[in-house]
Amino acid sequence: MMKTSPLWLRFVVVTYILLLVGVPLGFDYQRMFAHGWSGLVAAFGDPMMRSAMWLTVRVVVMTVPLNTVVGVGVALWIVRHPSWRSRLVDRIIDVPLAISPIIIGLMLELAYASNGWFGRPEAALGLHIIFSFPGIVLASVFVSLPLVSRQLIPLLRELGDHQEQTAASLGAGPVRIFLSITLRSLLWATAYGVSLTTARVLGEYGAVLIVSGNIAGLTQTLTLNIGSNFENYDAFHGFVGAGVLATTSIVILLVLGIARHRERKRHEHLA
Amino acid sequence: MSISLEHLSKSFGTEPVLTDINDVVPDGSLTALLGPSGSGKSTLLRMIAGLETVDQGRIVLHGRDVTHTPARRRNIGFCFQDYAPFYQLSVFDNIAYGLKVRRTAKVDIEREVRELLALVRLEAFADRYPRQLSGGQRQRMALARALAIKPEVLLLDEPFAALDAQVGGELRQWVRSLQHDLGITTLLVTHNQAEAMEVADRVVILNHGRIEQAGEPSAVYDNPVNHFVRSFLGPTTPFNGVAVRPHDLTFVDSTEGVAGVVADVIRLGFEVRVVVTFGDDTTSWVQLTHEEAQRRSVTLGQPVTVAVRR
Amino acid sequence: MAPNRVTPPTLPTQPPRTGWLRWRSSGLFSPGAQGATLLFYSLVVLVPLTALFSSAFTHGWGVFWRDATATEAIHAYRLTIVCSLAGAAINAVAGLAIAWVLVCDTFPGKSLINALIDLPFALPTVVAGVTFYTLYGPLSPVHLTLTGTWVGITVAIVFVTLPFTVRSVQPVLETMTFSAEAAAATLGASGVRTFFTITLPTLSPAIITGAGLAFARAMGEYGSVVFISNNLPYHTEVASSYIYSLASSQNPVAAAATAVAMLLMALVALTAVSVTSRRLVRGR
Repeated sequence: MMKTSPLWLRFVVVTYILLLVGVPLGFDYQRMFAHGWSGLVAAFGDPMMRSAMWLTVRVVVMTVPLNTVVGVGVALWIVRHPSWRSRLVDRIIDVPLAISPIIIGLMLELAYASNGWFGRPEAALGLHIIFSFPGIVLASVFVSLPLVSRQLIPLLRELGDHQEQTAASLGAGPVRIFLSITLRSLLWATAYGVSLTTARVLGEYGAVLIVSGNIAGLTQTLTLNIGSNFENYDAFHGFVGAGVLATTSIVILLVLGIARHRERKRHEHLA
Repeated sequence: MSISLEHLSKSFGTEPVLTDINDVVPDGSLTALLGPSGSGKSTLLRMIAGLETVDQGRIVLHGRDVTHTPARRRNIGFCFQDYAPFYQLSVFDNIAYGLKVRRTAKVDIEREVRELLALVRLEAFADRYPRQLSGGQRQRMALARALAIKPEVLLLDEPFAALDAQVGGELRQWVRSLQHDLGITTLLVTHNQAEAMEVADRVVILNHGRIEQAGEPSAVYDNPVNHFVRSFLGPTTPFNGVAVRPHDLTFVDSTEGVAGVVADVIRLGFEVRVVVTFGDDTTSWVQLTHEEAQRRSVTLGQPVTVAVRR
Repeated sequence: MAPNRVTPPTLPTQPPRTGWLRWRSSGLFSPGAQGATLLFYSLVVLVPLTALFSSAFTHGWGVFWRDATATEAIHAYRLTIVCSLAGAAINAVAGLAIAWVLVCDTFPGKSLINALIDLPFALPTVVAGVTFYTLYGPLSPVHLTLTGTWVGITVAIVFVTLPFTVRSVQPVLETMTFSAEAAAATLGASGVRTFFTITLPTLSPAIITGAGLAFARAMGEYGSVVFISNNLPYHTEVASSYIYSLASSQNPVAAAATAVAMLLMALVALTAVSVTSRRLVRGR
């Protein structure tokens, strides 16, 4: 009977969210379409923006699968096969979320720039990390590192390994168990983590700003391109890029919503 | 302080929960609202406390119509099934809560809470927090908290349901004697007929939102008005086409009974449950004391004659 | 009729566990794979972290202290902390109200509102940054100029941290039975009194956790803040902007020193939050 909220509170909350989130989002799209469809299509012809989009896609394609495999593996390792090594990883797993992206970029630069710790061995091997593609991937990997495993670790702890034991007692082999039981029960939580990873990698700004060098047409990702268009008083191209990323975020949010809904359903089935 | 319930009705959406409830809880009595889950007994209790609204009818506390009085102005002590402890407050502050709301002077609060702590035998636990108490201790704390406001009536929602059998049994006796000493009109909700029989001066039996029967426990037990009340208050077994209590059946030596064969003998501590199959393939259950069963040396396959005890 | 006595079926004492045992020791967790994972984490996280600390102290404690407490740095810390605290406080109040409405109320469009809460997590910070800059900048279409003010920075922070308190309070509210609130009502407490003496203390660990995470996030915020802040040194330059300007002006040692100082402050804040919220859950 106490579980109600007065009408004015509902009104205040809805207004607050619409003003804080709805209005800026709508404004974003309004500016994106400031010159109509034709203007929008023409904006996509901008070579700098096209190169930035293409670079962002390449970074996502490199980073997301890598962090998904690492995230699933590390989560299984920490929960199912604890040792001092896995506990060490468990300790540092959330570190990237607590550090400012600017500091992450600085750290990577200090370690991997040509005048940094690994400058000499890198030069000897002919590697260029900072101010080039590998550095951008490295920064993206760093900032999104815990997002998959954070979803899986509590779930794995809650699930236990009774299902796997049952399958094993019924004579299933390890590969079959992993595919049919383990991965299956982790599916939606992994999808959730992958969506978060994608959103984070697409949207990373500060860390990439430092490690990429922000060279237009070469090491400029879409977020950097938006920022530099703004600094160069080309707000329209900035808003086109912003609209592209906002749309992608909304799609990711939809996937997140579905994944959360499925995960909750699974939970209700268990209860 | 009597409680009059006059034509009370309540529904949740289209689902009727209580229909035309009429009853008078006498001053100073301990009345048990007894019924299966979903019978509406807890809703009725919450309506009396003002925690649920009334659709139709009136609630009158000793001549004062409180039907639309908010809970906080009714001065009713309520103990929740989960005890609803204020986890962030100490035992002392839990009990003092109602007194602080009433702006009682600090020295009086101190004195009254100490008295209540002594009454519920929690003197040593004043500075503990609810999570550090056992179930029975939390129950007593909740009772002291409800009594602190010197309520006109005391309402207890399934007070012993969450306790293990032994603690619950001890607390029942204690609550019974406490109520006796204080003389406070008390209404207790329970689904456990044994508990109601043991504790209450008066039982009100609810089913599907209606009162089936009300009266003294032994009167209701002995003269149930219908099959529901009979079967709800105690075990029944079919015999000769009617439902009877298994304790009311016995073996007789004469032929004034129904002949059958002993199909199973189950020892239940002090008593023995004898299952008898008759010629027409019906089965009855005869409850004997262990001594009686031994005297008759009941064994499997033995032919017997069953009759209603007089 | 025979007495109803059933012998339990004999269970196999040892279920075949060979498959399971093989799975446990399968290649996924082989020493090689474990070592590779550890190396990966070291190269990505530990080595850069160590590089940061060692750079900060390259020229010794004295230089570190001078860099970390430079006047410009102090101004940046102060602005960052003030705006982050303001953002976290707004976040706590608004988050509680939003969670309450989302849990205890039903109305058309609720799922849309619920989805909008997560948008700041998914939306790139730079998108938020440029949008707020245009919306509340010198050419503001709503005639509200917040650029170069701490209010503008706080608005950006409130936006990016919106989900923290909501998502930490929501699950607690969902499992609450409100019987303690009903008990307070029967004891004579008014709705307002019940809220402040019973409900709020119950929710406060979740509120503090959410607001604490929001504060930590705000302390390091860059993309959403850098445009609206105008980046004026000594005035509207937040800490992460200052670190960036040091890093890009070939002063990595000072940048590292400032970064280490910021990390330590964030660590202190997070520790304080977790200690406070644990102490609030008394008697466990």
